[in-house]
Amino acid sequence: MQRMFMRRVGLALLLMLAATALTFWLVTAAPGNVAALIAERAAGAGADGEMIAKIADDLGLNDPLPLRYARWLGDALTGDFGISLRTGKPMAEEFGERIPMTLALLTGGGVLALVLSLAMGIAGAASNGGGIDRVLHGMALVGASTPNFFVAAMLVIVFSVWLGWVPTFGVSGLTSWLLPWITIALFPASVLARVVRVNLQDTMSRPFATTGFAKGLTRGAVLLREALPNIAIPYMTTFGAQFTLMIIGAIVVERVFGLNGVGAFFIEAIRFRDFIGMQATLTLFVVFFVSINLIVDLLAMLADPRLRRPRKA
Amino acid sequence: MTAPIYQVEGLVIDLYTPTVSVRAVDGAGFHVAPGETLAIVGESGSGKTVMTLGPLGLLPEGVAVDLRGTARADGKDILAMSPAELSRLRGGFFGVIFQDPMSALNPMLKIGPQLAEQARRFAGLSAAEACKEAVSLLARSGIPDPEDRYDRYPHELSGGMLQRAMIALALAARPRVLIADEPTTALDATVQAQILALIRQIQKEDGIAVILITHDIGAVSVLADRVAVLYAGQVAEEGSAIDVLTAPVHPYTRGLLASVPDFRSENATGTKEIPGIPPNQAQLEPGCRFADRCELVQPQCRTHRPPLVKVGNGTVPHRVACPVVIAAEGIVIHV
Repeated sequence: MQRMFMRRVGLALLLMLAATALTFWLVTAAPGNVAALIAERAAGAGADGEMIAKIADDLGLNDPLPLRYARWLGDALTGDFGISLRTGKPMAEEFGERIPMTLALLTGGGVLALVLSLAMGIAGAASNGGGIDRVLHGMALVGASTPNFFVAAMLVIVFSVWLGWVPTFGVSGLTSWLLPWITIALFPASVLARVVRVNLQDTMSRPFATTGFAKGLTRGAVLLREALPNIAIPYMTTFGAQFTLMIIGAIVVERVFGLNGVGAFFIEAIRFRDFIGMQATLTLFVVFFVSINLIVDLLAMLADPRLRRPRKA
Repeated sequence: MTAPIYQVEGLVIDLYTPTVSVRAVDGAGFHVAPGETLAIVGESGSGKTVMTLGPLGLLPEGVAVDLRGTARADGKDILAMSPAELSRLRGGFFGVIFQDPMSALNPMLKIGPQLAEQARRFAGLSAAEACKEAVSLLARSGIPDPEDRYDRYPHELSGGMLQRAMIALALAARPRVLIADEPTTALDATVQAQILALIRQIQKEDGIAVILITHDIGAVSVLADRVAVLYAGQVAEEGSAIDVLTAPVHPYTRGLLASVPDFRSENATGTKEIPGIPPNQAQLEPGCRFADRCELVQPQCRTHRPPLVKVGNGTVPHRVACPVVIAAEGIVIHV
């Protein structure tokens, strides 16, 4: 167990290293010249080739890529992600302001996806082919195939414009979070509801479920007490994957609902060719992806008694 | 003879999948009295398990079931019960031991607490008493160091120990009928004998009714007072274990017994298989189910279903569904 734990952590660190190297290469390979951009910002139309060359030299842009990556990595490990070319503020400061916003969006969305998917999946399995099951199946299908920008627009039209229940834009109290949370949770909730439903159905046909019935439990009790613990592992791993994917949803959702989060910053960074901002944000995403998946994998291991308490030989 | 505590009559069970319908049980029945062990024997697919567990609603989920006939537990019609009533009856009145303890015990649940819960819900014990009861049930089922095993998960126990835990679980609610569905099939030969001995001991001590579903004739001879032989969803022969095992009448029972190797005899290879395979229960013909494999088959066998008639005059009725043998051997029919 401990060895497996150390292995997973080591693998995660290696993965982060590889992913940041890859994004570094991609960002530098993207069209646009940082030195020209900076020169233009500083001197407007007066920027000439000599000035650009000097800036490039000063920034070390002419050095070989591995050296530049090593330099960047050294800085990043000390928490220095550079200064955003767009806002002129250190990235650490930008993140300090924006991460809480994104975290609030993801946490709320994650909790909503968790509650919705379990409720829908369990209700579907309880109905077992009945009307509720079929309606929920249809809902999950629609939820999993509707793009989030469309969902966001529809929610705003109905709940903000027509009904006027919640603000359309920005952050002003808890109600303003409702639409962003629903938008971002809809896809993972739909996918996870199917995971719950299908795994419960499979588990209910296993011999130990029959034992549960033989113990005198009602179908509902067998479902919740015998079958549900057994889907914990597939559910948790899928939840981890869906939760990390929500960061991609956040890019759209933050923009649509005017939330000043990391996702919105990323889009602006791309628009302004803010290579420093792009690399820093992508690194943040990589760390988020890998660490969430690591945490979920370790939790799933703890949830399984066969892994938690391996049989002594 | 004491009155039966669980009695099934004229049971017909059809199993449906979206594409096929199978008549798994076709007008079969059985009964068992307190203190008595009934063995239900037959080959795989003969409907033993479906007939015994079907009326209790214990068939695996995902198969649609159509069930007709009567089934009475302690005089109450269980087919007319609400799902909640039937659940209580399953937990408290019946105890079930399944074939493969490795898959029949929930891998995510500890052994002991499950026993304690059964004792609390059905035997009316307090939480502390139930916990003690669970430990003593484990001990009684022959599990060494029961306090330690109480907190174990199924994967931490061996197959034989798990089957003992399964027996303890079935007994925790203090059932009046213990159903053992091929309890030794998944176990090692040495463990099999121990498990059978344990079931026999429990039955002697508690005086409960035991239904043993098996195709192991050895297990039948060890445990059973009475035997019902099932073939293709119908009872071919039933009677006391002695009558059925030593003086079988139905050609299928005779074939079944002849196909069991006798290791004590000089000629251990002297087994005889029954030619052919059981009928396709999705497309049943009228008449005797065994007709296609029977050496004594007569034209009437293919058109008329043979009735179960009482032969001999023992205290335990011996019934056989084969008029051909009865006529050929001049066996006296009793009404």
